[in-house]
Amino acid sequence: MKEELYDKLVAYIVENQNKFYRLAYSYVKNQDDALDVVQNAVCKALEHYGDLRNEQAIKTWFYKIVLNECFALLRAKNRMVLTDEDSCCETPYEETGFQSHDDLYAEINRMENDVQNIIKLRFFEELQLSEIAGILKMNLNTVKAKLYRGLKTLRVAIGEEGGV
Amino acid sequence: MRRMAQAKQKYDSIPIPGELSERVMQEVEKANIQRSGKKKRMRRIQRMRRAVVAAASAAAVLFMVGVNTSEVFAREMSDVPVLGAIARIVTFRSYDTETEDMNISVEIPGVEMISEELSGLEDKINEEIHGFCEQYAEGAVERAEEYKKAFLETGGTQEEWAEHHIAIKVWYEVKSYTDRYLSLAVAGSENWSNAYHETKYYNLDLREGKWVTLEDILGEDYARIAGKSILQQTEQREKETGLEFWTDQWDGVDESTKFYINDAGNPVIVFEKYEIAPGAAGEQEFEIVK
Repeated sequence: MKEELYDKLVAYIVENQNKFYRLAYSYVKNQDDALDVVQNAVCKALEHYGDLRNEQAIKTWFYKIVLNECFALLRAKNRMVLTDEDSCCETPYEETGFQSHDDLYAEINRMENDVQNIIKLRFFEELQLSEIAGILKMNLNTVKAKLYRGLKTLRVAIGEEGGV
Repeated sequence: MRRMAQAKQKYDSIPIPGELSERVMQEVEKANIQRSGKKKRMRRIQRMRRAVVAAASAAAVLFMVGVNTSEVFAREMSDVPVLGAIARIVTFRSYDTETEDMNISVEIPGVEMISEELSGLEDKINEEIHGFCEQYAEGAVERAEEYKKAFLETGGTQEEWAEHHIAIKVWYEVKSYTDRYLSLAVAGSENWSNAYHETKYYNLDLREGKWVTLEDILGEDYARIAGKSILQQTEQREKETGLEFWTDQWDGVDESTKFYINDAGNPVIVFEKYEIAPGAAGEQEFEIVK
């Protein structure tokens, strides 16, 4: 049984490697680091595959590892991109006022970690909210509330008007 | 309005370096060597190679499926402003059953809401939609079985029956999805009988978190406004197509009148076959412009 699960895990990783790379890249923002993140995540997953309970859990379990590796790498480099100070973002803060109105992607990358994770997993990776709750170890309602508030913030940030 | 779709496009166009698959395989091979003893090693690697080939072909299939679902998803996103994305339609459950007698295909939608205030509504909506789907599918199976019984009792043979290819289908369609409204049609049909076809419309006000009524959209005087508009439109269609409407037998618009909401935010009143015109004319739809 365990052997089978292991093979399924490998197959899942190989099949979806591009997705993990893109997700990693969206946080670390350079190719070398993104490759490291994916490689480390694969290494950790295969080492600890004994923690994996069943086939259904593969997806959320592996996404969790990828995200952990992303943040571990960012911390190690001592450049937390996504904190409130916005210290190292590519776009200086002043630009958020006008020019970057149309750049929702950049806005998303500037949001606080939790919200950013949720938005990326939901809209870019197209995961269900319940899966996201599993990955982030959050209550489903917390995920919903954070997403809701996040989208509101985005709407203000990009100047989207209310009304029909 | 298309910003979320654009953001995803940007994300999806992050280039994938060729090195990625090498790095991934490097870890896979390394883990294999660690896991298995030297004797088992070759066998294991062979097995893994097979698994990887299988995975690659599975990925090709998944990709095709992925294109379809993403198209729906992209459409959904491109039409909706950011905050409008507080609700999403997902296929809650879908199954295909093929028995000796019939083929049943059911696709049940589910609504996923993210607003805290709407979470009670989410359960209520989903319960109602799922109830309708299950009920329709069960009823359809019963009707098909009765039909088979009657067919055989009146001298039909098993072989002739097999020619019927009975198919029962339950599916859904998103009619419109705007900042304000989410309008969903859920339909059931049976291929052997035109009489059994049922469509239910679910119209949600995403801001108020409640079902939308004609009165909400057209105001207190909705019955008169919609009734008048329909009569004008039937007259016009009679002139244009020669089709005869049965408007004198029609009771007018009331709170049970079926409608969906179109992209313009206008209600569209739907009459099933035989309801207001001869069956051959099919369903008749009337947009009531606000």
